[in-house]
Amino acid sequence: MTSAKKYFSLMKTSMQASLSYRFNFFINTIAGIVFITALFYIWKAIYAQRTELGGMSWEDMKTYLLVVFITNMLLTWYSETAISRRVIDGSVSMDLLKPLDFQKARFSETIGTSIIEGGICALVAASWATVFADVNLPPNLLASGLFLVSLALSVLIKFGIIYLAGLVCFYTSSVLGVAWARAAITNLFSGALVPLTLFPDWLETITRWLPFQGIVFIPASIYMERMSGLDALWNIGIQFIWVIVLWLAGKAVWRWSVRQVTIHGG
Amino acid sequence: MSMIETFSLNKTFRQAIKDPGLKGSIKHFFTQQYRDKTAVNGIDLKIEEGESVAYVGPNGAGKSTTIKMLSGILVPTSGTLRVNGLVPHEDRIRHAKQIGVVFGQRTQLWWDLPVRESFSLLKDIYEIPDPLYKKNMDRFNDLLGLHEFSDLPARKISLGQRMRADLAAALLHNPPLVFLDEPTIGLDIAVKSRIREFVKNINQKEGSTILLTTHDLEDIKDICRRLVIIDKGRIIYDGTLEKITDAFAQERTLHFQVREPVSSISGIIANLPGVTADQVNELSFSVKFNRFQYSAGEIASKIITSADVIDFRIDEPSIDQIIRKLYNGELILQEEQPSEAIRS
Repeated sequence: MTSAKKYFSLMKTSMQASLSYRFNFFINTIAGIVFITALFYIWKAIYAQRTELGGMSWEDMKTYLLVVFITNMLLTWYSETAISRRVIDGSVSMDLLKPLDFQKARFSETIGTSIIEGGICALVAASWATVFADVNLPPNLLASGLFLVSLALSVLIKFGIIYLAGLVCFYTSSVLGVAWARAAITNLFSGALVPLTLFPDWLETITRWLPFQGIVFIPASIYMERMSGLDALWNIGIQFIWVIVLWLAGKAVWRWSVRQVTIHGG
Repeated sequence: MSMIETFSLNKTFRQAIKDPGLKGSIKHFFTQQYRDKTAVNGIDLKIEEGESVAYVGPNGAGKSTTIKMLSGILVPTSGTLRVNGLVPHEDRIRHAKQIGVVFGQRTQLWWDLPVRESFSLLKDIYEIPDPLYKKNMDRFNDLLGLHEFSDLPARKISLGQRMRADLAAALLHNPPLVFLDEPTIGLDIAVKSRIREFVKNINQKEGSTILLTTHDLEDIKDICRRLVIIDKGRIIYDGTLEKITDAFAQERTLHFQVREPVSSISGIIANLPGVTADQVNELSFSVKFNRFQYSAGEIASKIITSADVIDFRIDEPSIDQIIRKLYNGELILQEEQPSEAIRS
């Protein structure tokens, strides 16, 4: 019914808009680097005592951290809170006046920002990898290809989660609380802080049933070829299913909450 | 088919209530209490295609709530509404294409983008064909002077410029129905009159239906032929502007400026019973009279014969005062016998 062109234009526009936030990018990048550097030295201290942990060598861990950095940078704090802010400051009512589907519109904008962030992130990641020179590239072309697919799905999963978190703001009237809670949960369950294989069994089992593993752990494992061949495809399939599930959940929650808000007034 | 048709439209909001003080806040933390507030209470409104209607009332009367229901942002609590054949909140996206909305307090421009880019994005969002887009942009440039600032991002332009841009943005897709919610709020006189001209033009040349809320009575006078007054969620007047001014603005005031100080104004008006005078300073004074009793000409000619008048002007019958009286509950509208309807 609605043509794709308008959403494509929205995406382009948000790319343009995010370029006008150079300073913001700068800050985000610094924050990303600080986070990853802190993790780097913590793990370095841990590995000083041993050569292997949960089947991962220090080399593996450094590579893992690089992927954590990339996935973190691909959807930064700014684009994450953009949806919540719309809900809180009431510009959502202006969105309701446009012949646009709210979810598709926010998706287009988020992807637009992500493309710009991705470009900058690639530069920073490359320099980071150069500084800590011995980070491995994916072992072969197939792994690289699968990694890129998995990384794209990672962004889509993250969008699904951010979108849902944004809608929660209809009820909480606070952006930061929700964003922090979301970030804490995502960091833990996605494997951004600690690779999931190092979790106790019961916790690892839980994470295997949650969408968050698709954000960091699966792309990282594919990058490092700890998941390969059918295993990699299987996990990409899991990511894909989560993308669909989260999209549909987002649609349902939007329909429910917008009705609540428009009924009770917001 | 009418452009807008509502039948006993109601909107009730749920408001959280807190007892005062810390104790109240703690209590609220555990048990939330709500109270229902009726913002719109049984509105029956019928607006035909091509009309321009002012929707007026004190703050909190329910104006914006009505507009939000008509534009599909809010779902009515009860009652029915139909706007150009659609039920707004049920058919939101289709409805959005047939309306243009300006909220004076909000913008639909993209904050970080040059104004021009906002327009071209709206072109895609509303799927406006190239020739129409070009035609409208040219026309809006002429009428609103958009080119003065179209290369600046929305956050850098002045309020007046933003309002002009927002008007253009709302009308770019030639909507048959336009809602303007306080479009001239906070603007200087030059911008206001430019915006009024523009809205009139849209109404008269394009035949767009206009529903305007405002506190600025000049807006109403200039743009609207029909006036709907709402208070506490109910319509208390629906008719022409002339009718209400004719009916209620009985008192008029003439202001005079004279060359020589006048010894006694009361002497001058002594033979005009019912007329009162106020001395403003040595060289100027004002005279109040009932316009059903005297014409302005009569009063002026009397005064000119007895004083050396340099200049004089007349205060228009002020809709302002009437509406203020209505708001205060000092007037009860009875359209049949207007002159007897004044209580105070």
